[in-house]
Amino acid sequence: MIVVPCPNCGPRNSSDLRPCGEITSRPDPATASLSEWRTYLYLRENPAGWVTETWYCRSGCRRYFTIERNTATNEIRDSEVS
Amino acid sequence: MAKHGYTYSAGKLLKHGLSSGAWPRMWRRPEARSSYDVAIIGGGLHGLATAYYLAKEHGITNVAVLDKGYLGGGGSGRNTAIVRSNYLTPEGVAFYDRSLDLYNTMAQDLNLNVMFSRRGHLTLAHTDSALRTMHWRAEVNKLQGIDSSVIDEHEVKKQAPSLDTSKDTRYPILGALYHPPGGIVRHDAVVWGYARAADHLGVHLLQETEVLDILCEDGEGPEGKGAGGRVTGVRTNRGDISAPAVVNCTAGWASLLSNMAGVTLPITTHPLQAAVTEPCKVFLPTVVVSGSLHVYVSQTDRGELVFGASVDPVGTYRVNGTLEFTEELAGHVLELMPGISKMRLLRQWSGLCDMTPDYSPVMGTTQVDGYFVDVGWGTYGFKAGPVAGETMAETIATGRDADLIAPFHISRFTEGDLVGEKGAAAVGH
Amino acid sequence: MSNLRLPERPGEVIDRGTPLSFTWNGKSFTGHRGDTIASALTANGVEVFARSMKYKRKRGIMTADHWDPNLFVQVGDEPNVRAGSRRLEAGMQVSAQNVWPNLNFDVGTANQVVGRFLSSGFYYKTFMRPKWFWHNVYQRVLRKFAPGGRIHWETSTHGAYDKRYAHPDVLVAGGGPAGMAAAVSAAEADAKVMLVEHEPELGGHLRWGDADDLAALAELRSAVDAHPNIEVLLDSTVTGRYDHNWVAVMQRSHDIAPERLVKARVGSLVVAPGLIERPYVFSGNDTPGVMLSGAARRLINLWAVKPGSKAVVLSANPEGDAVIADLEAAGVEIVAALDARAGDDIAEVKGSGRVSKVVLGDGRTVDADLVVTATGWTAPTSLLNMAGDRPVYDPSAARYFPNQVPDNVLATGGITGNGSTAELAAHGTATGTLAANRALRLRHARRAAASRARSPEGPRPEVLEDTRTPLARVPHPECYLSSGANAKKGMVDYSEDVAAKDLVQAAGEGFDSIELMKRYTTVTMGPTQGKLETVNAAAVLAKARQMEMVDIGTTVWRPPYAPISLGALAGRIFEPVRRSALQDWHDAHGAAPLLAGQWVRPDHYGDPMGEALNVRENVGIIDVTPLGKLDLRGPDVTKLLELVYVNKWQKLDIGRVRYGTMVAEDGVVSDDGVTGRLGEDHYLMTTTSSGAGAVWEMLEDYLQTYRPEWDVHVTAVTGGLTSINVAGPKSRELLLRLVDGVDLSPEAFPYFNVRRGTVAGVEDCIIWRIGFTGELSYEVHVPSGHALHVWEALLANGEDLGIKPFGVESQRILRLEKGHYIVGQDTDGLTKAPSAGLGGLVKLDKPDTLGLPELKAAYERTDLPVLVAVQPDDPQLVPTEADQIVDGDSNRILGRITSSRMSPTLGRSVCLGQVDPSLAAAGTSVTILLVDGRRTTGTVQEHHAHVDPEGVRQNV
Ligand SMILES: Cc1cc2nc3c(=O)[nH]c(=O)nc-3n(C[C@H](O)[C@H](O)[C@H](O)COP(=O)(O)OP(=O)(O)OC[C@H]3O[C@@H](n4cnc5c(N)ncnc54)[C@H](O)[C@@H]3O)c2cc1C
Ligand SMILES: [Zn+2]
Repeated sequence: MIVVPCPNCGPRNSSDLRPCGEITSRPDPATASLSEWRTYLYLRENPAGWVTETWYCRSGCRRYFTIERNTATNEIRDSEVS
Repeated sequence: MAKHGYTYSAGKLLKHGLSSGAWPRMWRRPEARSSYDVAIIGGGLHGLATAYYLAKEHGITNVAVLDKGYLGGGGSGRNTAIVRSNYLTPEGVAFYDRSLDLYNTMAQDLNLNVMFSRRGHLTLAHTDSALRTMHWRAEVNKLQGIDSSVIDEHEVKKQAPSLDTSKDTRYPILGALYHPPGGIVRHDAVVWGYARAADHLGVHLLQETEVLDILCEDGEGPEGKGAGGRVTGVRTNRGDISAPAVVNCTAGWASLLSNMAGVTLPITTHPLQAAVTEPCKVFLPTVVVSGSLHVYVSQTDRGELVFGASVDPVGTYRVNGTLEFTEELAGHVLELMPGISKMRLLRQWSGLCDMTPDYSPVMGTTQVDGYFVDVGWGTYGFKAGPVAGETMAETIATGRDADLIAPFHISRFTEGDLVGEKGAAAVGH
Repeated sequence: MSNLRLPERPGEVIDRGTPLSFTWNGKSFTGHRGDTIASALTANGVEVFARSMKYKRKRGIMTADHWDPNLFVQVGDEPNVRAGSRRLEAGMQVSAQNVWPNLNFDVGTANQVVGRFLSSGFYYKTFMRPKWFWHNVYQRVLRKFAPGGRIHWETSTHGAYDKRYAHPDVLVAGGGPAGMAAAVSAAEADAKVMLVEHEPELGGHLRWGDADDLAALAELRSAVDAHPNIEVLLDSTVTGRYDHNWVAVMQRSHDIAPERLVKARVGSLVVAPGLIERPYVFSGNDTPGVMLSGAARRLINLWAVKPGSKAVVLSANPEGDAVIADLEAAGVEIVAALDARAGDDIAEVKGSGRVSKVVLGDGRTVDADLVVTATGWTAPTSLLNMAGDRPVYDPSAARYFPNQVPDNVLATGGITGNGSTAELAAHGTATGTLAANRALRLRHARRAAASRARSPEGPRPEVLEDTRTPLARVPHPECYLSSGANAKKGMVDYSEDVAAKDLVQAAGEGFDSIELMKRYTTVTMGPTQGKLETVNAAAVLAKARQMEMVDIGTTVWRPPYAPISLGALAGRIFEPVRRSALQDWHDAHGAAPLLAGQWVRPDHYGDPMGEALNVRENVGIIDVTPLGKLDLRGPDVTKLLELVYVNKWQKLDIGRVRYGTMVAEDGVVSDDGVTGRLGEDHYLMTTTSSGAGAVWEMLEDYLQTYRPEWDVHVTAVTGGLTSINVAGPKSRELLLRLVDGVDLSPEAFPYFNVRRGTVAGVEDCIIWRIGFTGELSYEVHVPSGHALHVWEALLANGEDLGIKPFGVESQRILRLEKGHYIVGQDTDGLTKAPSAGLGGLVKLDKPDTLGLPELKAAYERTDLPVLVAVQPDDPQLVPTEADQIVDGDSNRILGRITSSRMSPTLGRSVCLGQVDPSLAAAGTSVTILLVDGRRTTGTVQEHHAHVDPEGVRQNV
């Protein structure tokens, strides 16, 4: 059970939150080509190292926020709290 | 068995027992060549089976299987070895059923007892909608000649008397999808069987050889990687190896390797955990799966209960496991079988799963010439190993995607033609 | 039976005043409070406790503690009880497990004779032909030989266990001298400390030591007892260390629960588990009467039991030397005192059921009934492994040492080196201070990081450097495998019956890395988890490969450190069921309960067909509270609706309601429902019951991460508002009797409108006119506190109108008659908007909506399946939902029935189904494959609605 620092609620057990994965940037749906759109939908870098990812403070303040986590170690960057 | 083969049999067991003579090695530790016709990355079941069928069916023996650790050290040595073919889509059913066929004769084909135990596979339904999905699967299965049907809770109780089929539970058992040919297999033996057979046919098994880069030319990306290019070989911790065909069979690590060829995959890596109890006298004859409770259980011939679940929600390459997995697992297992509350959990472990959005693999040719993938095996790839090896070998030998795997081509993600296996693959493995 | 109890010993833990009687294999015995099962039996002269797994060899006491591989017994309904650590209780019924027919005579001993053929992995090499033989014969035999005890179904303890959360600054794993000292110094540095000891008393190896040891122990224990900052958990095991110092403790000493899982978020974890003594590998090393020095000392000093009468001792260390004094004090004759440091050795032990002769390294054979070895230590580095450490072997000290651990994990005591009690305690003290410093810095940072938590007290403590003087690594000979000619017959893994020769064979066959060897031979895979075996296995492998131990590595120790019962891991069952405010009423009125996701709902009240017909003819009410309800407020709600629904939302006047479908970004239908506009900036959205949570989170996601500039507040009101659907031709008449402040006339309150008003005296109810059932109907959302009152008022006032409550089943019938699809039943994980027959609803000319590019692409395709209404040609035949639609007599699948019911209104069966586009035209005949294998035909209908396709009934 890792500790995830919510900017509102402070350090929390990860089970209080929902991990939402690598951040992605949504192309403009009006102009995006299908291939751009499907890249956004499906393709992921999935690195073994630092990723910026979104978490949702599901049982707390219900805020979505991003953190940097190392997927090889589960270390969370700039966070002295976990 | 060809070349340096050595056949196992009861007679040999007797002979070695009497003479105390040494058994021959199952496979060699060869020196790497500087070039191969095919370099397969990943010495799990998929890589080994691909190598074996390349040699056996297509006469391509100048093949290396490279693994950064030991053979079967990835998912192939960590899975819970459930083998079944009662998938949901016709594509899936046809594919996995071919694998089941191969498992059926594997012990004889590979001359190693892989202890395939066709003990029956129950997928429990706790809700109306689950029951409906079971019916759906059963009907699709039957149409393809697969032994699969929906049974009621009384029949469930007969198959697995230790299940609590009373009505007053939080998740009452309403029925189950019953698949008699499903079962479990000794996963390590399958890996060793293919390794030994491939080695005998001349394939080089290079353990402790880590691929650090995939070498490409003429691609649209940096260093000649990416679409439109072709592979020329791999860079390893023991030097460069050239090869006109490179196959990615690295499961949980698939994205890392594929990024080296400039091919981004529709994959995220999540740990899948499993656990085993201390042994006790055998009481559970079948494999039992509950999708709603995210748990499945079987009992080995040694009396241990083997448990699994669905993947961890947090994506990571770490495999040290979590406590909450064991807590949830125990809670859910005891919902099904309250009588085993005094059994003790002996060991938990974790492996990496390469999850795709549609719970189906990514297989075959790619946008880079000579670079093949056999990945996206998620939580269900062990049972597919034999057929994946067979079809990948055909694809590599002919340069054309084999019919059985055409639905799993990477282009489905750009064409928007996903496979609809989610419901059948999520927990069942 | 003989009585081997000694006169009183200074450190003994038995209470001689309290005898406890119990049975062993049906015979009565007596022990004392403080005894373990094993010590009590040994005191009574019992020598054989178990049979080995494969060869059924007799096994006796070997380590006399929790890790003893030979002391697994059945106690009542509990299998696999460790007799080496389980305290004796009065009335216990203890029996040997895994023996047949009994402990003294086991037919499986025949395996000893054929043992030479049962080499490593023998089962992989045979039983392949004929194929049926494996499945039908051999596998069954194999299963009969499965080790372990027996499960008793009738006595589940599920739910009897408790859990606890803890937040100690410092958790010390291990209550020996170093651990106790660490706890005291950490507590003195102001840390909150939890000290966890596996055994029932603090003290570690001091407990079975000499007078000096006992004196040191008393002093340390009183320092621990005196400190208010220390909580001591005895008879408790730290079973795992997980990421971010999440630590699991299994407490067996709690009064209420048989075992309790303590989950601790720990600042600093101090690992002080001491050392585990290693068995020595020689032929006959598993004969009863062969034991480790720790076992002999524990038996004598803790339980005052004489372990034998004539002993051979092989010692390579001071602990081994000390056992000689203990044995002598207990009246055991020392036949040979062998010093491994001087090259003495044991070649072989002979005896069946008990040691009788010992062949010494020098070739002499002596008579003895006891062999005690002290040949070295295994560092139990499990917790460090779990923290990422890969301990390194030091050949000069003949054991592994910690290598690199993260800052929040610190090791102390024997696991890090050797020392006198004072030196161990000093190292512990320094470690405790350091651990406290790191923990208090972390506590400070955590408090500072949480805006809503308590503020930290005072400034953050300065970093304390690690200036600990490491404990010495005292040289120790590498004693693994005896020099005796038959040494390789010696057991490496007792619980798995794996001998050294099996490992050598495996290495020769190519299983020459420790991981492969483990898998092939199962060495270290048994219930003792490799604690006794791992290092010996590595040593045998090193020897076979002619390599150094350092280069072999070890297998990774995986959690849990000690096995944990499933009941304790599960704890109590916290799986809530959601109930609407009316569920008690439903229960009281004979409703059949239906579990639907988290909710329990009334499925029907006895007659689903009649209830449905009553809605068509009179009026019915149904509790639809689980419907997801989201209150949306703010000036930008319209923009949000435009984004998340496929249709247009700009021109929705106040008082109007609109139906909408949602798709995900991949164009797949994800949810549907109606949304009504209650005020200028105020809307109420409904979702499917199962999708309620996901839609809420999805809205928040887009609002927070995609359009943070939009001003919209989302509040979930699903449970806060009880939803009652009043449906049927007489529904208006009924509501006219109860509603105030709303003009219910069709002109003033037409279909797809919403009003707020008073219902049965309850103010501020939301009423909207919609119709899932296809009848004139009103959905009333009542503040849940008043729901029962409104429900009962409806029933009372509708009596003369023929009102009846109806349940989910009737609603399913009614909606299917009306052709309304259910997301997730009539659609699936691949159903895109065009397949669902949304037709004109979807607007592709919007600038932004979820999945827009996919929607556009989907509308260009002609190959997507189509949702259609189907009527079986045999009107009395109701296909099963999920029956397949096939191509005539072939097995080609062209679709499936997604919903089916007998329609009471039409008196015939009605269905919805997904079909191939080639079959979608009205009037097409389709072949339906029934569950029993028969094929029948059905006809595709023009409209989804089987009943009232024009919608006359709901528009009145
Ligand atoms: C706990 C668990 C339970 C499971 N249960 C089941 C089940 O019941 N049924 C089922 O069908 N499936 C199951 N699976 C899934 C199954 O294990 C996998 O899908 C399957 O083993 C994948 O095999 P593979 O050969 O493709 O990959 P792996 O066996 O994972 O092999 C990949 C190999 O690639 C190597 N590698 C990685 N990177 C490099 C590199 N850079 N250079 C060289 N080598 C590299 C790794 O060392 C590894 O050996 C389970 C998985 C887990 C984790
Ligand atoms: Zn929060």
